[in-house]
Amino acid sequence: MLAVDMTGDAVKAKNGSMVAYDGQMSFKKLSGGGEGLRGMVTRRLTGEQMTLMEVTGQGTCWFADRASEINLVNLQGDKLYVESSNLLATDSGLRTGTSFTGLRGASQGNGLFTTTIEGHGQAAIMSDGPAVVLRVSRQYPLTVDPGAYIAHQGNLQQSFQSGVTFRTLLGEGGGEAFQMRFEGDGLVYVQPSERNTIAGDV
Amino acid sequence: MYGGPVAGPTVFDPMTLPSDDNVNNYTFCVELKGSQWFLQKGKMIAYYGQMEFNGVGHGRLDRLVRTSFHSPLHASDWVVAEGSGKMLLADRAFDVNSYDLDEGNLTIRSGNLLAFQPSLALKQSIVPGFLTLIGTGKFVAASNGPVVFMEPPIRVDPQALVGWADCPSPCHHYDHGYMTGVMGGLRALTGIGGASGEEHQFEFVGAGTVLLQSSETLMAEQAMGAVPHEPGVPGGGGVPGHHGQQVGTPRLPGQLGDLQRRFGL
Repeated sequence: MLAVDMTGDAVKAKNGSMVAYDGQMSFKKLSGGGEGLRGMVTRRLTGEQMTLMEVTGQGTCWFADRASEINLVNLQGDKLYVESSNLLATDSGLRTGTSFTGLRGASQGNGLFTTTIEGHGQAAIMSDGPAVVLRVSRQYPLTVDPGAYIAHQGNLQQSFQSGVTFRTLLGEGGGEAFQMRFEGDGLVYVQPSERNTIAGDV
Repeated sequence: MYGGPVAGPTVFDPMTLPSDDNVNNYTFCVELKGSQWFLQKGKMIAYYGQMEFNGVGHGRLDRLVRTSFHSPLHASDWVVAEGSGKMLLADRAFDVNSYDLDEGNLTIRSGNLLAFQPSLALKQSIVPGFLTLIGTGKFVAASNGPVVFMEPPIRVDPQALVGWADCPSPCHHYDHGYMTGVMGGLRALTGIGGASGEEHQFEFVGAGTVLLQSSETLMAEQAMGAVPHEPGVPGGGGVPGHHGQQVGTPRLPGQLGDLQRRFGL
């Protein structure tokens, strides 16, 4: 559960994620995630749909979604990449958008696009179980199972690794046929659970 | 603007990740230094370093499999990780814990075992749905809620049982009222008229330890295949005279694997 204290300012949150509030609040649906007409069209085209609402008011507001774990991310001008289904709330000062992820998204069953958040402020992302934050640096690249990946931030290059061999086809695969490899400098958030992906069974 | 303690999350890198220990209650970190670990397919969530994951049927691993893997029936559910680096394991956000065995034996529900060192030997338990680990080494197991350790004599709820060590006497226990009389039978069958849902337990006696989880949610059972069809094998269905049914032919590593199950044939 995420508690937000507000004094007249605003947050953007996933539509319908408010569970309680005290004080004075007003809720306004942001069509197209508050990204304007262009953002709306992009989201419709990319299938990276996200319905956000803007909450303004005085008091405390509590947000939650399907009892999943909530992790706070501090952004100082850098960019956070997160699946729209894992995004719970952001400061209203943060800009959201969509970006192309390539094959990685396809292997996760999340589509080819992901949501980006940039600016200064905090974002709340959701995970199944508390997320583990892993640092990637030049000498320590990281490999992640696509089903456990939830978000990353910083200056990272991601590539897609496939370990599909004839053994996979025979049902004797290593169980980790698709992997995401991160290189560069930044942080990667993984959850202690795997979504069902097509990669999960090979 | 966000309330509550906003302590930044702990950021881990290969230096600060623990070695063969829990990162948090739900994630376990294994350090490989050219060594090998057995793990259940798909439980690796991330790793640093160079690692390779190979199915147990992989030719190069034959020697290892011969010494520490004696469960041909679900060979296709296990992989061997080797290389060097640190690897994170997790399972559906269940609690994970590691346990050390020292010249001991421990029997565990098959779905709960995530990984083990090859210094342990994995065998199928005679009790269907359970696996036994024998030897010295470390293994990692998942449970729904923290694990509690109990001393026999004890009767436990079947859904809460995770496993047991050193006490070879698991047996069924039925409440007397549940078994006798027409009314008792009727209650048990229909659940009407005061079935408490606790008429049946597992009973353990003797010296040892019983592991319980603090919830009655079962982990999805690992497909076990079936035990060989022989008379006298529990769960084998080997009634004398009914030999040679097609179901449950043991599958050996190197055969076609789990094609049928995988494609739902």
